Amino acid sequence: MGLLGLLKKMKKDDMEARILILGLDNAGKTTILKTMTSEDISHTMPTQGFNIKSIMQDGFKLNVWDIGGQEAIRPYWSNYFENTDGLVYVVDSSDTRRLEESSRELKQLLAEEKLAGIPTLVFANKQDLMSAAGAEDVSAALELDFIGDRVWQIQACSAKTGEGLQEGMEWLVGNCRKG
Amino acid sequence: MDDGGHAYAIREGFRINWMNMRDAATGQVMWESGEWDCGQDEMEAQIPCEILRCKQISRELNFSSLEVLTSLRLVQSVIFKGEPLEEWNFHFGFVIPNSTNTWQQTIEAAEEEEMLPAELLSGNVVIETTFFDGDYPIMTQRVRIWYV
Repeated sequence: MGLLGLLKKMKKDDMEARILILGLDNAGKTTILKTMTSEDISHTMPTQGFNIKSIMQDGFKLNVWDIGGQEAIRPYWSNYFENTDGLVYVVDSSDTRRLEESSRELKQLLAEEKLAGIPTLVFANKQDLMSAAGAEDVSAALELDFIGDRVWQIQACSAKTGEGLQEGMEWLVGNCRKG
Repeated sequence: MDDGGHAYAIREGFRINWMNMRDAATGQVMWESGEWDCGQDEMEAQIPCEILRCKQISRELNFSSLEVLTSLRLVQSVIFKGEPLEEWNFHFGFVIPNSTNTWQQTIEAAEEEEMLPAELLSGNVVIETTFFDGDYPIMTQRVRIWYV
C-alpha cells in the first residue's frame, strides 16, 4: 500500500518515474501525499514552494513533486514540467464556486508543450464532504471529455480517508511511459 | 550584481529549517530536530535504536530560500568513521524565491544480518548534506547520529 506499493506497478523497463501534482490552492495535494505515506495530516500548511517524495526500492525510483497552488506561485509551475512522466491534477470537489478557475488552470496545463501527451489523472478530492460534487459532475465542469491527446482518468477520492488514492495513483504509474 | 554578490545573497538567504526521520511503513516520526540553529558546524541527533529495525525509513528535510535558484542539487552522504558508506544525489532544479520546500527520501534499510550493531554505529555515523546551486556550494550540514 501507499507510495511504496506503487513501485511494484511500474513497468519493468521504466526504472525511474517523475510524477507532478498540481491544482489550485487548498485542493489537497499535500494531504494526498501525506496520506499515501501514512503521515499525520492534521497540521498541513499551505505549500510555499514544493514538497518532493522520493522513493527507492529494488532499483526502482519514484519522484513525486507537489507544487504549491496559490495564485502567486502558479506562474512558477512551468519550471517543473520538464521530464514529467505523469500528471496528477487535484480538484476540491466541494468548492464548486472555483471549479471554473480550476478548469481554466487545467486547460492551460494541457496546452503546455512540455506536458503534451503526458498521462493525466484528475482527482475529484474531498468526497468525504457532503457538499462535494461527484466525479461525473467534476468531469463535466472540467470538460474532460474533450481531452483527446492523451490517456486520462478521473478518480473520486478523499485525501482525508484515503479512499480512491491508491486506485488513482496505480492507474497513473501503470500508464507512465518514457517519451 | 556580480557573481560573488549573488552567491553571497543565495547563501545568506538559504536555511535548513528542520529534519526528521520516520518508519516509512507506519509514517511514525522516530526523530525530529525541531527548529535548528544552522550556524552550528555539527548537530547531534539522538535517535531511538528501534529505527534500525525498520524495513524502510524516510528522511525529510525542510529548507527555505529567499533567492531564486535555477539549479539546486543536494549530495547526501552517510559517513561511518570518516568513510562514506552511502551517497545520494538529488537534483531539484528551480527553486521559487521566498519559498519553503521539503524533500523526503524513502529508502530500504540494509538486511538485518548486514547491519552493524547500534552500539558500534552510535556516535560514529554522520549524515552530511551539501546543497549546491549548479557548481557553487551553498551550505553543508552535518548531523552526528547517536542511537539511544
